[in-house]
Amino acid sequence: MENSTMKRSRWGRSRFGGSSAVLVSVSLGIGAAISAAAGALFVTLSDSERPILAFALMVTLTLPTAAALGWALLVDRATLIGAADKPEDSIESTWYDKAASGAFGDILLVGGLGAGGFALTWIEGPLTWALSGLVLFAMLDFAARYQWLKKAAA
Amino acid sequence: MQNSLAQRRQGLGWSQQQLADELGVSRQTIISIEKGRYDPSLPVAFRLAAVFECAIEELFTPESS
Repeated sequence: MENSTMKRSRWGRSRFGGSSAVLVSVSLGIGAAISAAAGALFVTLSDSERPILAFALMVTLTLPTAAALGWALLVDRATLIGAADKPEDSIESTWYDKAASGAFGDILLVGGLGAGGFALTWIEGPLTWALSGLVLFAMLDFAARYQWLKKAAA
Repeated sequence: MQNSLAQRRQGLGWSQQQLADELGVSRQTIISIEKGRYDPSLPVAFRLAAVFECAIEELFTPESS
């Protein structure tokens, strides 16, 4: 039971050692690097009239997600308060599998019906919107299914 | 699946969180098992049997019996 005796904290510690403060700082640094790269790519590809504003907006909007991604990649789960040592044996893992499985079936159904509907009615629209809508539907469907399973078990 | 988890846990004077920590699972997992709404995996069942020093069939009984 080495993990249960290890000192845990809200933000945890890095897999490579160091304190929580070091982990958060490195995560923010990784997030800033990813956001800056995304901002530079966006400015280059979009040919914006206000490149500095576009860059600043892109960095501001993507930094929280990018920093969270860096933290998720670096953190040692065993140093987090409340993290189960064997998450694969917990009921949350079962909820995740069931929700993902159900959402996958729904995506096939909605995607198939949508594609058929567009083909039969000759409606044309931006592919980006259709794919974005499908991804949004998948995320909402998964979240709703997960919450329903959680509520049913409570 | 019916089980005697809650009685055995209370017999040891453990909280649900303590048992969850001992097994390495979430507290919600223990709550759901005790309510009979979740059948644990075989590895968890073996760990439960080891914690309570009994056989798995002493902990869990099928609904039909």
